[in-house]
Amino acid sequence: MSARSPTHQTRSHRSGPVPPSLRSNLLVLAALLVLLGLSAGSALIPMGVFNEVANLGIAAMKALLVLVFFMRLKTDSPLLRLVAAAGFAWLALLVALSLADLLSRQNLLPPW
Amino acid sequence: MSTAERIAPSYLEEGFSLRSWLGTRDHKRIAILYALGITFFFFLGGLAAALIRLELVTPAGDVLSAETYNKVFTFHGVVMVWFFLIPSIPATLGNFLLPLMIGARDMAFPRLNLFSWYLYIVGGLFTIACLLLGGVDTGWTFYTPFSTMFSNSNVMLAVVGVFVVGFSSIFTGLNFIVTIHTMRAPGMTWFRLPLFVWSMYAVALVMMLATPVLAMTLALIALERLFGVGIFDPALGGDPLLFQHFFWFYSHPAVYIMVLPAMGVVSELITAGVRRRIFGYKFMVWAIVGIAVVGFLVWGHHMFVSGQSMYAGIIFSILSFIIAVPSAIKVFNWTATLYKGDISFTAPLLYALGFVGLFMLGGLTGLFLAATALDVSLTDTYFVVAHFHYIMVGGSVMAYLGGIHYWWPKITGRLYSEAWARFAAILMFFGFNLTFFPQYVLGWEGMPRRYHEYLPQYQVLNVLSSAGATILAVSYLLPLGYLLWSLRHGARAGANPWNAQGLEWTTPSPPTLHNFEETPQVTGGPYAYEQP
Amino acid sequence: MSVTVRHLREQFDDAVQQREASTLGMWAFLTTEILFFGVLFAGYAFCRVMFPEAFAAASRHTDMLLGTLETAALLTSSCAAALAVREVQLGGRRAATWLLLATAALGSAFLVMHGFEYVAEYHEGLIPGLRYTQHGPHAASMQLFFCLYYFITGFHGLHVSIGVGLLLAMAWRTHRGAFDQDYHTPLELTALYWHLVDIVWIFVYPLIYLIGRAL
Repeated sequence: MSARSPTHQTRSHRSGPVPPSLRSNLLVLAALLVLLGLSAGSALIPMGVFNEVANLGIAAMKALLVLVFFMRLKTDSPLLRLVAAAGFAWLALLVALSLADLLSRQNLLPPW
Repeated sequence: MSTAERIAPSYLEEGFSLRSWLGTRDHKRIAILYALGITFFFFLGGLAAALIRLELVTPAGDVLSAETYNKVFTFHGVVMVWFFLIPSIPATLGNFLLPLMIGARDMAFPRLNLFSWYLYIVGGLFTIACLLLGGVDTGWTFYTPFSTMFSNSNVMLAVVGVFVVGFSSIFTGLNFIVTIHTMRAPGMTWFRLPLFVWSMYAVALVMMLATPVLAMTLALIALERLFGVGIFDPALGGDPLLFQHFFWFYSHPAVYIMVLPAMGVVSELITAGVRRRIFGYKFMVWAIVGIAVVGFLVWGHHMFVSGQSMYAGIIFSILSFIIAVPSAIKVFNWTATLYKGDISFTAPLLYALGFVGLFMLGGLTGLFLAATALDVSLTDTYFVVAHFHYIMVGGSVMAYLGGIHYWWPKITGRLYSEAWARFAAILMFFGFNLTFFPQYVLGWEGMPRRYHEYLPQYQVLNVLSSAGATILAVSYLLPLGYLLWSLRHGARAGANPWNAQGLEWTTPSPPTLHNFEETPQVTGGPYAYEQP
Repeated sequence: MSVTVRHLREQFDDAVQQREASTLGMWAFLTTEILFFGVLFAGYAFCRVMFPEAFAAASRHTDMLLGTLETAALLTSSCAAALAVREVQLGGRRAATWLLLATAALGSAFLVMHGFEYVAEYHEGLIPGLRYTQHGPHAASMQLFFCLYYFITGFHGLHVSIGVGLLLAMAWRTHRGAFDQDYHTPLELTALYWHLVDIVWIFVYPLIYLIGRAL
């Protein structure tokens, strides 16, 4: 992974990854809009906690579609996937550890 | 090592107008600009510290009123943390050396680099405006709900100043990461990087992943003050502890922003000072990365007594103990590097050894504070104050000054007075311990921090501490004197006055605009000193 | 090749290195953006765990139809931006210019729709600190939801506005022939930024508009 090594010339074109096909981009858009419809529809059906699971699951899928296809993480350098993942991972840390505090709080009764 | 015959003018001779400096994109000149700003804020913050120590000479609150005292220690904290410690090593030595050490002509984004400096200055102006208009009294931590609902001081200006300077730090970090990833000279593989570069990489990661959280949290404070409602407001059911989570998510890693670069500098100073390869290079690298990552998982140890759940407290306590492991590995390896070394007690090495000692004391007392049971009685006492000053002032400032001395010939092309420098380094070590060691005892005995008066029984130790602060002040003013003197009267430095290893020493002193005549080819690892 | 040499800055060796540095820099910046917005989402998670009913009640005051339309507009605009980059890479300058204009138009439409939402909410008295006229058991903690709602959508709207400005600038430069198959990094980076703004909204949509709808 050394910089300026000759392998760079072969790994990535100087103007970026090879352009995707028109068809694939339009398919991704269609998938996104279908997921949007699913998300709105499912929100109106009472499913208890699964409403939340569905909502967030669909949002994560949509975000992945955009990241992988529109933002070309699929074809661009692997380092960029790592950078993108780092942002989400660190956000997960912040949410997880601060919620861990909130969810495990107990009211301690005074000893008297 | 006279490989570097002067052909082109040095970067200092590229232009002499003010415009050639304020509009420069040369990483070396930007480093000098930062150094000027940082030195100014260091002495400004130091002045506040002097006022604090002056007040604490006597038990009665006679020099400063309680309110003024609050403003003085807040100003000291804000200035020292955000305008001195965080940018100190990365923005000056890091900016200057990073491209030189990896064999690049400049940073990846030179204009962004200059823009970061302007942000730093603008943030600084806000902070100075805040001071001139009456200061801020919340403490550097801006805890809610005091900062949002009750403080009548200039919280807004201070918050805006820190917000702006946060962006300076984010952009510096971004520049470092991209530069290290894409601008290394041929053959400069990851495990051939000097440890200073690794520490800059780790610190850049922390800057980028932590600073946005601080900036946004401060924006939330500003909005809450502006509109009178916000998510930290207990009256609506909001939780002020949420603020503390956000704040320490940044501010604990910020401690590593201050100390990781110091560790990088010390690794360079020790290897050059004892002419030995670093002991356990890969361990050092993984320790740096480990500290940077685990440093994000320990923030809750600032909140043991503030109402956090005790289970979270236990988890954060365990994680805080874990981070002692990579720190201990580093101290062990520095010590092992000294073994059978060709030790010459030059000023940089003295500073580096001082760092190792003080960092160890600061680190070990950190373990006291990481233990939940002990922390309950030590929270908000002078024990905490002493602990973090050992790390930040004893550690980072020692390393920063050591680095400035070591690379001074490269930066300015002049040699400083070695005798004076050794004297200052030793004086600093003693002055520092005299200032802060009594504070450990004071804290252990229960003296709380952030009050302008105290019980008479604490006076002896407080007077000792204030006396130490005077010595410390002299030892900080000394380098300012003899280093500036050397600019005119110092002997000219050759390309490699320390006979040290590293790409930066293969360039002329001071280097030319584009650093290298031709891109260097790297064929081996760092610190290739002859082994006995 | 002469085209790329013209755009090569002096600190880089070649165009490959320059492009790598630029895209890595943009992604690193986007990572910080994730954390900027992340603070607000983390605050949202924290407050919602404390007050689930109030959040559901408050969410029912938002306009789900407009929210859905806004989401559709942003998703479509993201696709248009991706296609614009593709067109430039394939040499289609004219089509790329139109696609960029379409992206900017959809972004502006998003802003206008959101403006309507804000006006309606003002009349309904849902804006804490400015005009808040709600009563009932959850009225106090519902303000937490609305504070977060305005911070998140306001900060996001700021990003959309900046994005529209950038897209218009890129459309102009594409029209003037500043980009071609070899060099179009600024356009590529603008598109990346726009996609990230879209991703943020993808998460805003269910968290703001869709909770407590099923009753």
